[in-house]
Amino acid sequence: MEQIDAGGSTTVAASTSEDSSLDPIARVRKLLFRQMLVGIKDGRFFLGSFHCIDKQGNIILQDTVEYRSIRRSSPSPTEQRCLGMILIPASCRTSCHVDCSIEEQLSLIQLKE
Amino acid sequence: MQSVREEESSSIDQGPRSCGDNSVWAHVSPLLSAACSDLHEGELIHGDNFNLFAAMSALEIMDPKMDSGMVSTFYSIDEAIESGFAPVPISSDRTVDVQCIIDIMDHLLACEATWHMGHSLAQTVFSCIYVLRPDRTSSHALLHSFCRVIRATCRALVSVLSDARTNEEEDLFTMTYGLPFNGDEDGKGLLLLNAVEETICRQLRACKATSSKRRVLEARRKANDFLFLVCRMMQNWNLYKLIRNWKRAFAKLCYAGYVFHFLHALNCMRRPQGRGLELARKHIAYCIAELESVLSSVEFLSLETVENGKNEMEESTTGSGRHPIGFDPNLNKRLSAPTPPRAIKLLSWKKAIDYYVKLLHNLDQICAFKLEPDLDAVLQFVVQFQKSRPDLVARAHLQLLLVQDGKLYGRDTFLTICARSLALDVTKNHGLHLNEYILQLNQLMINLLKILCANTPWQRRKLGKILNDWSIFNVQMGITVGNMMQQVTTPRTPKNGDKSLLILNHIYGWLEEQIHWVALRFLVLGFDLELYSPSEYCMVYWYMYIILWKLAEKAHFRVLIIVHTEERKAKKKEDYSRDMAREDRISLWVLLLKCQTSLAQGLTVMIAALRNEGMCLKSQGPFNTENEKFVQHFGLLQKASLPKYDAYESFSESTCHARLDYLPVYECFRDAQKMAKEIKVGYANDPDKLAEVVGLEQVAEHNIIAVNLLCQDRSLKVSFEFIHHPHFATAVVRRS
Repeated sequence: MEQIDAGGSTTVAASTSEDSSLDPIARVRKLLFRQMLVGIKDGRFFLGSFHCIDKQGNIILQDTVEYRSIRRSSPSPTEQRCLGMILIPASCRTSCHVDCSIEEQLSLIQLKE
Repeated sequence: MQSVREEESSSIDQGPRSCGDNSVWAHVSPLLSAACSDLHEGELIHGDNFNLFAAMSALEIMDPKMDSGMVSTFYSIDEAIESGFAPVPISSDRTVDVQCIIDIMDHLLACEATWHMGHSLAQTVFSCIYVLRPDRTSSHALLHSFCRVIRATCRALVSVLSDARTNEEEDLFTMTYGLPFNGDEDGKGLLLLNAVEETICRQLRACKATSSKRRVLEARRKANDFLFLVCRMMQNWNLYKLIRNWKRAFAKLCYAGYVFHFLHALNCMRRPQGRGLELARKHIAYCIAELESVLSSVEFLSLETVENGKNEMEESTTGSGRHPIGFDPNLNKRLSAPTPPRAIKLLSWKKAIDYYVKLLHNLDQICAFKLEPDLDAVLQFVVQFQKSRPDLVARAHLQLLLVQDGKLYGRDTFLTICARSLALDVTKNHGLHLNEYILQLNQLMINLLKILCANTPWQRRKLGKILNDWSIFNVQMGITVGNMMQQVTTPRTPKNGDKSLLILNHIYGWLEEQIHWVALRFLVLGFDLELYSPSEYCMVYWYMYIILWKLAEKAHFRVLIIVHTEERKAKKKEDYSRDMAREDRISLWVLLLKCQTSLAQGLTVMIAALRNEGMCLKSQGPFNTENEKFVQHFGLLQKASLPKYDAYESFSESTCHARLDYLPVYECFRDAQKMAKEIKVGYANDPDKLAEVVGLEQVAEHNIIAVNLLCQDRSLKVSFEFIHHPHFATAVVRRS
């Protein structure tokens, strides 16, 4: 990891190398305003900018777009619609991804250990 | 170590994509849960722009009241269709098929009526998959054309309502986004339905005329599915079944006829300058007749569902009491707004039919209106029309008929109309229609007519507001015209200019009459809306008396102008025919106003006397003083300087000394009674007006008796009720 980070010339990569020493809260704070993709139980996905998270894991996204499949059987084409600000309760969240560069992704993964 | 799981990334690929080339979706759930466990209770991770108040308005996902995207029965319309939710044909058994189609038609009718009542299209008419996807039904001529025509009708109405802008009252009406509302194809539905109707009619006649098997078979060969049904029944010579199915066939035919004529009527009414009204009336008459036939069909349609209770039938959206096939109000719930719409209750089938009968009668009333270029006639018609509390659709049509292209009926400018009500000729004064006051007057008149077509509460509020505009305009015009008149009194002014000025001067006078008319309408609507409490009747009648008196004076003045002008014209030209009918009409109207004035005066004095003698509640509540109530009710009138003096002071002065044995009470009511008798003769041919005058006469008569009784025995209890007239109260005297 260190090598990749050292090789990376972008500032994002540089900052992520510092992140590895930070605690999880500080690292999540770094994710604020990034595009976040959250999947929920009923199969829908929400893509919006990460606005807030609380202790219970409820997430608020801004300028969100909802993606849903048209049919129950997959694969199926999707339908989308704009929702604005939404709150996704932790209880119905099944997956959560953040848009980031490959280098960043590696650093995030490393920190999970 | 975890990477983005493959299955997840595959489903993501079809939907959202990450923005950059070098970026990926990094799985952050473990990081988030680690962070969450480190957080203290109540702590949040958020940016600088976070605002807790704003965050409270976030839509909560998976909350059934906030998240309209929650998956209900079906993911989409396509899935519903694939799962056989709305089959075409509905059943392989023709009899069942027809029953189901009639149920669908019934339900659609109820849906449409519910939409007219102010609910969204998406939840009502477009909850039907057959309407949403009309292409699917193309093999089924009747259902197909019916759905097409329903769509075309909806489109026609949305266009009427958006043009009339009455949709502000019921804002859901014109919302169509996301719905398949483009419909060049829908126009063909009418032709198709026409064809279906003709075929059915012809073949029904043919089947009726002969029961020969050959003819039946021949017909069957040619027939569409509907005819096939009829023929099949003919082969089954069971008499009971035969009659029942005949009637069922008949109901279906009526529906087809009904929607067909309804759409035609709507289209005719939209023709410019009211040219299609005659034809529209014919179509409306058909519609009414056919709705009646539909209603009469209910008995046999519900024969099979006798097991359902009577109450269930009352609530049902279909004549048969069965649930229709192919409707799901949840299908479109994501369309209108991010949050799910409120659950709505559809009108029952019976109520829907009642609604349509009322609507058709209202439309017929509009079509029957003789488009006279006479403002008095227009105003009286609108007031009369509004008495039946017509619904949005009818009112929008009336408005569009009255105001088209900024002209009355799209035909006469308001200058012409205004001049006509003064018997003036403006055809030669070309410059006048560009006069800024005339242009402004035009706008005021258009607004007034539009407001008069609105629903009662909205109408009253708006009337109160425009009174101010009218009075400002009146003052401005008064100053300008006054100045010009002074200049003109010096000799040597061009003759034409003189004439325009004369017209402007007359219009100025007429304007005051209109303002008082609006003020009177504003006051009277308060009774319709039950805004006045009995303790306030005294001040209301006092105000009505002030306004009526002024209005009668102005109207009388106009009569004098008209008579004078007409006489002069008649002198100039031997063959000039005076419009005596109009002169009589206005004189009669002035007399009616005077009668109402006396009645209002009588009531004011009577109620004031009762109050002063402690026999009637004083208008005192724990919260508001009488003065405050006065301002609450009439603030808008006073703002428009109606009257020009301090109204409350004048009111309290004029009523504080009233006593029951005070003579004018009797005199006012007697005057009113006398005038009513005269007017009755004049309105002998107008039943509506006659009924009103009779009501006024009765109010006067009963109030005289009541005053008499009260004078003799002051321990009697008195209350005021609107038994003879909706706006003039009758005193009811009781012993205890």
